[in-house]
Amino acid sequence: MSRVHAPRGLAELLALRADLPGAALMAGGTDLVPRSRARGGLPEDVILLQDVPELHGITSGKGLLRIGAAATHAALLADPRVGRGLPVLARALACLASPAIRNMGSIGGNICTASPAGDTLPPLHVLEARVELAGREGVRELSLAEFILGPGRTALGPGEVLCAVLVPRPEGFSLQHFEKVGLRGAMAIAVVSLAAMLRLDGRGRVAEARLAWGSAGPAVVRCPAAEAALLGRRPTLSALRAAARHARAAVRPIDDLRASAAYRREVAGNLLLRLADLSSR
Amino acid sequence: MPQEFSQIDRRHPRNDALPKALGLERFAADHYPEGLLWAGARRAGIPHARIRTVDVSAAAALPGVVRVLTRADVAGSNLQGIVHKDQPVLAGDKVRHCGDAVALVLAVDRETLARALSLVRLDLEPLPGVFDPAQALKKGAPLVHEGRRGGNVLVRASIRTGRGAAVLRECPVVVRGTFSTPMQAHAFIETENGTARLLPDGTLEMTVSTQAPFRDRFEIAQALGLDPMRIRVVAPYLGGGFGGKDGATVQCLLALAALHAGGRPVKMWWEREESMLAGYKRHAARLTYALGADRDGTLRALSCRIVMDSGAYAHLGGEVMALGMESAGGPYRIPHADIRGLCVYTNNPVAGAFRGFGAAQTAFAAERMMDRLAEKLGMDPLELRLRNALRRGDRNAAGVTMTASTGMAACLEALRAHPAYAAREAWKRAAPPHARRGAGVAAACIGVGYGRGLPDAATARIELTETGTFRIFNAVPDMGQGNASAFALIAAEALGQSPASFELVQPDTACCLPSGSSSAGRTTYTYGNALVRACGALRDRLLVRGAMALLADDTADLTLAPGAVRHVKSGRAVPLALLARMMILEDRTATAEFVMPVTPDATGGKGFVIGFPHLLFAYAAVLALSEVDELTGAVRVRRFVSATDGGRVLNPQGFEQQVAGALIQGMGWALSEDVLTREGRILNPDLSTYLVPTAADAPEVDCLAVDSVEETGPFGMKGIGEVNLNAALPSIGAAVQDACGARLDAAPLTPEKVLGARPRRARRTP
Amino acid sequence: MTIRFLLNGREVACESAPDRRAVDLLREEFGLTGVKEGCGGGECGACAVLVDGSARLSCLMLAAQLAGRSVVTVEGLGTAEAPHPLQTAFAEHGAVQCGYCAPGMLMAAADLLARDPSPDREAIAGAVSGTLCRCGGYGKIVEAVERAAEAMRPGPVRKALRKKRGGA
Ligand SMILES: Cc1cc2nc3c(=O)[nH]c(=O)nc-3n(C[C@H](O)[C@H](O)[C@H](O)COP(=O)(O)OP(=O)(O)OC[C@H]3O[C@@H](n4cnc5c(N)ncnc54)[C@H](O)[C@@H]3O)c2cc1C
Ligand code: FES
Ligand code: FES
Repeated sequence: MSRVHAPRGLAELLALRADLPGAALMAGGTDLVPRSRARGGLPEDVILLQDVPELHGITSGKGLLRIGAAATHAALLADPRVGRGLPVLARALACLASPAIRNMGSIGGNICTASPAGDTLPPLHVLEARVELAGREGVRELSLAEFILGPGRTALGPGEVLCAVLVPRPEGFSLQHFEKVGLRGAMAIAVVSLAAMLRLDGRGRVAEARLAWGSAGPAVVRCPAAEAALLGRRPTLSALRAAARHARAAVRPIDDLRASAAYRREVAGNLLLRLADLSSR
Repeated sequence: MPQEFSQIDRRHPRNDALPKALGLERFAADHYPEGLLWAGARRAGIPHARIRTVDVSAAAALPGVVRVLTRADVAGSNLQGIVHKDQPVLAGDKVRHCGDAVALVLAVDRETLARALSLVRLDLEPLPGVFDPAQALKKGAPLVHEGRRGGNVLVRASIRTGRGAAVLRECPVVVRGTFSTPMQAHAFIETENGTARLLPDGTLEMTVSTQAPFRDRFEIAQALGLDPMRIRVVAPYLGGGFGGKDGATVQCLLALAALHAGGRPVKMWWEREESMLAGYKRHAARLTYALGADRDGTLRALSCRIVMDSGAYAHLGGEVMALGMESAGGPYRIPHADIRGLCVYTNNPVAGAFRGFGAAQTAFAAERMMDRLAEKLGMDPLELRLRNALRRGDRNAAGVTMTASTGMAACLEALRAHPAYAAREAWKRAAPPHARRGAGVAAACIGVGYGRGLPDAATARIELTETGTFRIFNAVPDMGQGNASAFALIAAEALGQSPASFELVQPDTACCLPSGSSSAGRTTYTYGNALVRACGALRDRLLVRGAMALLADDTADLTLAPGAVRHVKSGRAVPLALLARMMILEDRTATAEFVMPVTPDATGGKGFVIGFPHLLFAYAAVLALSEVDELTGAVRVRRFVSATDGGRVLNPQGFEQQVAGALIQGMGWALSEDVLTREGRILNPDLSTYLVPTAADAPEVDCLAVDSVEETGPFGMKGIGEVNLNAALPSIGAAVQDACGARLDAAPLTPEKVLGARPRRARRTP
Repeated sequence: MTIRFLLNGREVACESAPDRRAVDLLREEFGLTGVKEGCGGGECGACAVLVDGSARLSCLMLAAQLAGRSVVTVEGLGTAEAPHPLQTAFAEHGAVQCGYCAPGMLMAAADLLARDPSPDREAIAGAVSGTLCRCGGYGKIVEAVERAAEAMRPGPVRKALRKKRGGA
């Protein structure tokens, strides 16, 4: 039988965290519980984040949205600052798992799980989001790339908690897109996914491109060469095809139950072509 | 003259719908008898091994563990199986697939049970295994069951009609193909479960999620050395079955546990992963076909070889194959055929009954061959089918004569007349960017009932209750198909009462009468027919008793009106409630038998035990409209239109449920469902890796019923639960090919396969 | 530990291990077997209940998480005497086959209608897309939710009345 702790504030949480280094943090539990079940049970101590108010709010600061790590996917979707303000993230949230899981699961849980298929990760990468970690010693900030080290591995220190995700408000990115390729219409883990943000100049040419792929390597894959290939060009099929070639060279996918590496590689490139339909509308 | 009905062919909500929607209906899984123990099986975990020792000492020593049982504790034959008894309750000498049970634990709660199961120490000596039929058929291949004359061949059967496959040489047009279909999991949401208790008088009382409570008694009795008449099985509404709860799942293990529980009730409920591991599956199949025709499209000859993977045990392998072979040539006239079938043991998960029952596999091959033929002849696929469609009096490729209602042509004509059929080209042209659209047609048929070799019988029981309402003793489990509600409707029609005046008792071997299993499209047909007769007998009885009460000397002057027996001329009536009080239970009860007629065709073919041929068939023609994403290869079915011949429709709502449900289950099999194994181990044992369709995948479905009456059926119906499933995969396959040119003969049609199979010219993405 | 919460509108308390699965607590301690289990891993949606008004999966929740919350199961949505419009619509429009998915479907639908009283078919399908119906009854399920939403929306008379009151 596990002990379940329900701290009521961040200070209490950090104290517990320091006292119980082996304890598992549980936000929505949608990763922790099934994973523990497969391993034969929950850890001896479980610390619930549900009653820690500091981890739940969404606040806007100077050019920044600060999202509490335990904010649920549903809460984010319902907030116009995400729902309308960050379409690339909102699209990913809208197809993450199922509505009930979105009512439970948190953005912090999605990040800390560090799954190559985590749906919020490619959007957070192109949004250039940072994470805020708190420990007894204080607070530090890391980029997502610094925080996620590999499948299931993060830079979270002992005694630390992921407090918030800091998302700079994107300016001028008129084209934001997320697409997940799954094996069915809902409740599908990403076989490969693409998050894209394009900033276009007055003549419709790409002034800045940010592209990130999920399930295409041990962590989210960025591809500067593909981004560069789009610069100064309209996002036409031929420009996107050129970028796609770079993308296919950059991804490091694996074979698994859902698809082969070769398929993932091909589709990682193909997904870029969808941007042509979007920008022509 | 068209018959006038008061209840039949009208939309009725099902009797079970509201209680289920209120959460009040108790499924087997919802029973938690006071003081229960939890039972669970330790499974082999490796596909083929000799058992050296099963050390239960550590498990038995765990506080909270009541008993740990092994093969040595089984007193009977230890063998389960519906026809061939080859599956041990607890494996003693060797294990033949990963899901074989080797020890059975009883514990006070689930946590203790789980720990104890992990403490059972198995010393297994791995043996080389066989993991596909081709490997199993090789000379010198490891034997799944030693000492059998046929080696790894469970059943070898053949059917030859006319001059056989030799006629292919005379055909001006011949098409060939090799197809494969995957193992499919039933994946009912209520997994296999039940409760059991040994009563002080020695009766074993069980409540099980089962499709065949009457057969269960005998199976349990034989395996465990008990008196079948001391076993009572109750089968509440099932949370899905689809064939996967036909035959022993928890039954024997649970009964064994109850025998050793000191009179305490025992509950066993398989977790999802255990259900995947130990539950039955649809047989994976490989089908090699050649089909010959004249230049005008008239079919002449068929040659086919069907190989099915039975997994470690027989279950209904032979019977599944028989049905597949019977409709191997599809719903068409083919005068000359050679149909050969092999059902083969391997060390894979156990295959068994599944909606579509063998005919689903052959329909894929047969229909895609028809498409290929149409392509070669430059004919319209629907017209080609219509030209060859079986009509009453025709013989199919297996030599079975269609002597009963045969609506295949009517189904195809109804489909052709549907607006979506005419509009398909316009729909295709309106494809969004990066999408290609296609339309595909398939026709399918399936035998209804057990077929020759086994009486397909039911005995209905109905009673007038003390309060003047009626009680039907349903004896065939309702796994969701709605037969129980259909029975209320049938009885309401037969007795001229309102459906609300019927109460349904669900199958219970203690008070319902043996009526076979819930399967084979026979459930409503066979029991329904018996019920019509029982209602007739009850009506006659009530008229006689009513005559007494009304002092009428001729029952011909009386009618059974809603709630009363009425004297027609005088208008005087005696309420049933009053009448009931004057009758003892026996007097208020009527029972009647029905045995399904059999085809006059002799049991054709070689190698069949039971299940061939059939008298009755259900038919369907299906149009699938599908969209293929050119960037990902993902297929979405946007719409199905189905035209079905299931005889007269009893309740349009129930009809639509069955048609759409079968199509969506078939669509899952076509697109995403595939039990993946490596060396006999299941790689996708849960519902996030084994992918059944969600609401976001479900297309619009139009369900048409053609005008048809099956004279032998209750009010003209015949079973329609399965046939549409068989048309889903081939129609989607045709639609995908029409959309993007990808011709895929190995299901499922995953995005990866579709993307890879597009012909070169289609590959250049626009 | 003692866990107190509001269950189908009534205050309840029970002794439970804090890490017991909520689904087991509800089914076994409170006899609310309308809460179904189909996978135990968040994959089928059968175990959904409303927690503080939003649909959650009781197989992934621990008993301790219920403390101080309001929990509604299918039994609390409506009763035999006064079924919820969703329950009535499910029964009438053929959304129930084996019915094992129905409670989870109803919870997902109730959550949706609380947020969006007039969803279109696509929104309904999306809202129930985490609840598997192996009987394949999605078309009728979506239709039933549509019908229930209609029945629950204030009709023209009620709408007019409300407007009037608001204006006064
Ligand atoms: C059926 C099913 C389908 C799913 N489908 C998807 C999908 O489509 N896409 C997808 O991306 N994911 C999916 N998931 C995974 C999961 O739902 C998400 O990753 C979710 O965002 C996890 O959030 P949570 O709050 O539930 O995490 P939890 O389970 O509570 O936690 C996950 C991990 O993160 C740690 N953690 C959580 N919060 C913090 C914090 N603030 N600080 C430090 N550590 C923390 C926990 O200790 C734990 O190790 C699915 C899960 C299930 C069960
Ligand atoms: S039982 Fe909870 S989601 Fe399946
Ligand atoms: S009605 Fe059977 S699972 Fe939905």
